[in-house]
Amino acid sequence: MDGGLSSLLAVSVDFSESHLFFPRIVFAVLVVLFLAVLVTKRREIAASAGRLRQEVRDTDRMRLLGTIGLTVAYFLTMPVVGDVYPHSGLGFYLTSIPYLFLLSLLYLHVRRGRPLLIAAVNAVVAPSVAWYVLARLFNLSLP
Amino acid sequence: MEFLSLLTPQFFVLVAGGTMVGILFGAIPGMTATMAVAVCLPLTYSLGLVDGLALLLGLYVGGISGGLVPAILLNIPGTPSSITTTFDGYPMTQKGEGERALKLAIYASLFGGLFSLAVLYLFAPALADFAIKFSYIEKFLIILLALTVMAALSSSLIVGIFSGVLGIFISLVGTYPTSVGGNGEVRLMPEALIPYLESGFALLPVLIGVFGVAAILAEAAQGVREETAADRLRLTTGKPFSLSLFRGQGVNLVRSASIGTFVGILPGVGGSAASVLSYSQEKNFSRNPEQFGKGAPAGVIASESANNGLTGGALVPLLSLGIPGDSTTAILIGAFALQGIQVGPLFIGENPQIWNSMIVALLAANAVMFLMMYFAIRHLARLVLIPKYVLYPIILMMSVVGAYTINYGIMFDVWTLLLFGVLAFVGQKLGLEVAPFIIGFILGPAAEIYFVKSIESFGTLTIFFTKSPIAMVLWVLIALSVGLSIYLARRAAGRGPDDPAAERGA
Repeated sequence: MDGGLSSLLAVSVDFSESHLFFPRIVFAVLVVLFLAVLVTKRREIAASAGRLRQEVRDTDRMRLLGTIGLTVAYFLTMPVVGDVYPHSGLGFYLTSIPYLFLLSLLYLHVRRGRPLLIAAVNAVVAPSVAWYVLARLFNLSLP
Repeated sequence: MEFLSLLTPQFFVLVAGGTMVGILFGAIPGMTATMAVAVCLPLTYSLGLVDGLALLLGLYVGGISGGLVPAILLNIPGTPSSITTTFDGYPMTQKGEGERALKLAIYASLFGGLFSLAVLYLFAPALADFAIKFSYIEKFLIILLALTVMAALSSSLIVGIFSGVLGIFISLVGTYPTSVGGNGEVRLMPEALIPYLESGFALLPVLIGVFGVAAILAEAAQGVREETAADRLRLTTGKPFSLSLFRGQGVNLVRSASIGTFVGILPGVGGSAASVLSYSQEKNFSRNPEQFGKGAPAGVIASESANNGLTGGALVPLLSLGIPGDSTTAILIGAFALQGIQVGPLFIGENPQIWNSMIVALLAANAVMFLMMYFAIRHLARLVLIPKYVLYPIILMMSVVGAYTINYGIMFDVWTLLLFGVLAFVGQKLGLEVAPFIIGFILGPAAEIYFVKSIESFGTLTIFFTKSPIAMVLWVLIALSVGLSIYLARRAAGRGPDDPAAERGA
C-alpha cells in the first residue's frame, strides 16, 4: 500500500451522524445491486411478466384477500374488545372464535354437513384451549 | 455432570411432545419445521431456557423428519427438504412397499440425525474457541462470508445478495442504540412512526410473519385444496422391511449424512439443497443409476440421511459464531434472546450446562423421533388427513399469540406480523429469496456495530484486509464462494434450465 492509496481509503466517522453512516452504505449497495439485478436479469424479468400475470389470474382471490381482510378485522377488533375486559386476555379469546370460524368457512369448498360441524367445534375449542393454557396457566399477556 | 440436575422429567416430556408436534407439522404439506418452531416459541416464555430449548429442538428434529411421511405416501414433500424422498419413496409405495420405504427412511433419518449431532458435539466447541480471538473486523468479515456463501447457493447469486442486503437494511430501522456505542438517534423512518418503531421491527413477529403467515397466504392464494389421495395408501402389500436393505449402503449413509451436515453448517442454505446434492451424488456413484426414480432404496436413504444431517450441522455456526445455519435455527436465536442469552463464541464456554442439555435434548429428540415413527407409523400416516381448514386458522391464531407476547403486549408487533407476511408472500412471487433476507435481518445490527466500530478505531478501510492473517483467509473464502457461484451459474446455463427441485429452497 503506498501513501496515496491508504489516504484515499482513510475514513472517519462523525459521531453525531454515525447513526446514518452504515445505513447510507447499505442503501447505496442495495441500489447498486438492484440495478445489477435489472441489468443481468432483464431477459428473465421480461419473460416473467407474462408468468406473473398468469399467476395473478390463477390466484384464488376470494381466499387470499378474504384471509387478509379477516385478519385485519381481527387485529382491529381485538384491542377494542380487550379494553372492555382489560388484562384478562378476553379480547383475544372472544375475537378468535368468530375469526377461526369465518376463516374455516372461507377455506371450505363444501360448506355443509360434517366439515361445517368440525369447523364450528374447532372455532370454539381451539381458542378456549389456547386462552386457558396461555393466559391462565402460563400467565402470558394477551389482548 | 452438573447439568444432569437440569434434566427433569418435564424436560423429556417437552422433548417428546415437541418431537411429536414437529412430526405433525413436517407431515402436513405446506407446513415446515421452521413454522413449527416459530409458532410454538411463545410457549417457551415461561419455561426457562433449558426446557424451552428442549421443546424447540424436539420440534426441529421432528419437523425435519416428518416430511418423509407424505413424501413417501402421497408424492408430496411435507417439507422442502424431503423433495428427493418423493423420487424413490413414492414409487415404492406404488409397488405396495409403503411401510418398507417409511421404515427405511426412518432408519436413514436417525443415522443422519445422530451423525450430525456427533459433528456438532465435536466441532462447535473447537470452532468457538477459535472464534473467541476474533476482533470486530474478523466478525464483520464472517458475516460478509455468511452472506456470500448463502447467496452463492441461492438460485441466483445477485438476487440472493440483494435479498440479504435488503434484510440488513430493514433491520437497521429504529434507534442506533447507545448500549453498543451508537448515538441513540433514530433513522430510516417517518416521524409519525417513531413511537412504534423506536427499537425497530421486533425479530419474532418478522420471523413468524415471513414463515407462518406468508405460507398460509400462499396456500390461500392456491385455494386451500385438501389432499384426498390418502384413501389409496397401500402400506404393506409388497416386500416387508428388513435391516438387510442397508447392506452395502454404508458409504451412501456416511456420504449423505456428511453432505447434509456440511450444507447445514453453511449459513442460510435450506434443506432442499442438502438432499438434492446427496441424492444426485448417490446417483452418480451408483452401479445401477437407472434404478433411481423407480423405487431405489438407496435414493430414499440418501435423501433422508442428508436432510436429518442438517439439524446438527445448522446448529454449529449458531452456537459457535452466533450465525444461524438455516431459517429454523434463525428462530432459535429468538428463543435465546428471549431469555437474555447471547449466542456467539463465548456461549458454550460460559454455559456448559445449557450446551450439554441441548446435546441431550437432540439425542432424546432423535430417539423419540425414531421410536414414534417406527412404531406408530400407521397412525402417523393418517396425520396427513387433518384438514387444512381446521389447521390454518389455528396457525394464524397462534402466530398472533407469538407476536403479541414477545414484548409483553404491543399491538404494533401483531401488525408487523401481517405486514411481513404480506411482504414475504409478494416478495417470493417476485423471486426474492427468503432465507438470505432473514439471515440479513438477523445479522444486520451486529454487522453495523462491527463495521462502524472497526472504522472508528482504525480510521481506514484497508484494515479490513490487513488486520490479521485470518482476515485475509476470510477474504479468500469470500472470493471463492463468489467465484464458485459464478462457475455454477455458467455450468447451469450451459446445461439448460435449473433443476426445479433445487430452486424451491427452505
